[in-house]
Amino acid sequence: MAEKKVSLGKEFTKGLIKENPVLRLVLGTCPTLAVSTSVVNALGMGVSAMIVLICSNIVISLLRKVIPSKVRIPVYIVVIASFVTIVQMLVKAFVPALDAALGVYLPLIVVNCIILGRAEAFAGKHSVLASAVDGVGMGIGFTLALCCMAAIREVLGAGTFLAGAQDLLVLFGNNVLNGFNGFTLIKEGSALSPMTVFILAPGGFFTFGLLMACANRLAERSGKPKAELKGCEACPMAGSCSIRADGGACEDGKEEASA
Amino acid sequence: MTKFKEYFAPTVVLFLVCLIAAFLLGATNQVTAPRIEQIQYDNEVAARKVVFAAADSFGDPAESSAEGVKTVVPALDADGKVIGCVVTAVTKGYGGDITVMTGVDADGAVTGVSILDMSETAGLGANAKKQSFRDQFIGKIAGVTVSKDQPGENAIDALTGATITSRAVTRAVNASIEAAGGVLNG
Amino acid sequence: MTAYFAILLTAILTGNFVLCKFLGICPFLGVSKKLNTALGMSAAVVFVMALATAVTYPINKFLLVKNDLEYLQTIVFILVIAALVQLVEIVLKKFMPPLYNALGIYLPLITTNCAVLGVVILNVDEGYNFAQSMFNSVGAGLGFMLAMVIFSGVRSRLESCDVPKFLQGLPIVLIAASIVSLSFMGFTGLVEGLLGL
Repeated sequence: MAEKKVSLGKEFTKGLIKENPVLRLVLGTCPTLAVSTSVVNALGMGVSAMIVLICSNIVISLLRKVIPSKVRIPVYIVVIASFVTIVQMLVKAFVPALDAALGVYLPLIVVNCIILGRAEAFAGKHSVLASAVDGVGMGIGFTLALCCMAAIREVLGAGTFLAGAQDLLVLFGNNVLNGFNGFTLIKEGSALSPMTVFILAPGGFFTFGLLMACANRLAERSGKPKAELKGCEACPMAGSCSIRADGGACEDGKEEASA
Repeated sequence: MTKFKEYFAPTVVLFLVCLIAAFLLGATNQVTAPRIEQIQYDNEVAARKVVFAAADSFGDPAESSAEGVKTVVPALDADGKVIGCVVTAVTKGYGGDITVMTGVDADGAVTGVSILDMSETAGLGANAKKQSFRDQFIGKIAGVTVSKDQPGENAIDALTGATITSRAVTRAVNASIEAAGGVLNG
Repeated sequence: MTAYFAILLTAILTGNFVLCKFLGICPFLGVSKKLNTALGMSAAVVFVMALATAVTYPINKFLLVKNDLEYLQTIVFILVIAALVQLVEIVLKKFMPPLYNALGIYLPLITTNCAVLGVVILNVDEGYNFAQSMFNSVGAGLGFMLAMVIFSGVRSRLESCDVPKFLQGLPIVLIAASIVSLSFMGFTGLVEGLLGL
């Protein structure tokens, strides 16, 4: 198996902006929309997904030479699902409030296309170190996009910022940072009231749309193509799609990611 | 040999991966399960204190046969006399089950309400967790209504845009008061 | 019976998987360009959701819960779904070619459709019995279909619109989705009102 030489720095930074999984590759849209109602939730989701992504990238990269290509998708799924379950149990035990807030979306990290997509497009073909770095970069990129969206939605929709911070800070002990629990920008009962629609479902789509427009504009400036759902009937799951695994129809999209 | 590689190897690898994964999960579960249980227990104990601040200690939880009511815990004063009880009730909200804990004193009036678990819409139903909403119930007696349906002395104001959640919580509180009455008087 | 009907209606309208719970967004955005592909995809989703529920419910009840292995739910469910989808694909290809041609190409995409795993996990979380689980799954699938069909209609209109340059492409699609989702919020309280719950 010939391995391409990769620059670690490049692998790391590409996930942040150039190939941001959410805004550029349009992967992982479901959790992005669902948990970006508050920055704390977004941060929790981002970090959980990042841990799963890094671990699964490392393990899959380690195993890449012993996994027969026929069963590689099931093996990837098992590896990812195990890490997701481990993270889920740890979150339940150590950050219980986060588990309550993320609900069903925590186990659904399994089918987050970013993770399976990276396993297929990157970790299965590259060295352990490069895969780990790719996982860190992509994970941070995912978390950043998520937090960016959550910040807009929380400030406009709930009039708070970082509300419920103690839910996460509980990891570092009780009442750290003097019991800091976020800022209240719009006080209850004041003349202003927050635009609740922003934390509801429609607000999620709307914010994502505008954010995507901004990302496209920035990309255009630097001469890059717009983010589009590409290939395979415009399926963003192309990386994990078994049609493609069978050497079928969709060859574009994900290939660039590993190039 | 090629047959072996084609059919046998994938099966063995997949099986081994599954086996290792199952072992890892079992191990993690061993570590985290007791802690998760402990947290749930701690939360419940802490919530009891919140909804019935006047109580000194709490007795043993008893199962209740009333519909929607899970457990009834007697609240005791310093002398060990029963001065009320804390009732945990489950009700159907907008986005699934809501678990509500209600403190009821000997006169059948609510001393406090706490939401233990819910999956209501963020920004609407989830506001039921806010103190301003929960505190409305304090002092109310059996037959609490939502003022939108039936205004009056014993009514609470519904949350904006979350009438269903408000009704659900009210229903749980009413069931709790009833269950408490049965225990305290019976 | 009202309770079952309520579960069905909730899953289709007020708790629509795509527009209210954000599950299955990828195919919602990706395959909704044309009405017939949207229909094919969602028919396959309804089918797989019902089948997955029918298979995972007994597995969960008689294997996992009985042996205190609930923590294996995620991994077992996703494997069962993946295997099931492959199996259905093979069976359809061999025995029902016309149906395979209509639905088959969408099947592989469904393994990683979070709506399918989502509905199975939600059924367990809600503590539904077998019949309730089936109603919920079929409802979720039909809700997915409704959202897809409506949205493909919106998108076909969008094609001929003069969209501001900075919104062209994906952004305007998302904003259109936002408006469709807003309209679904109008169903709030409908199930309770209709069935007098």
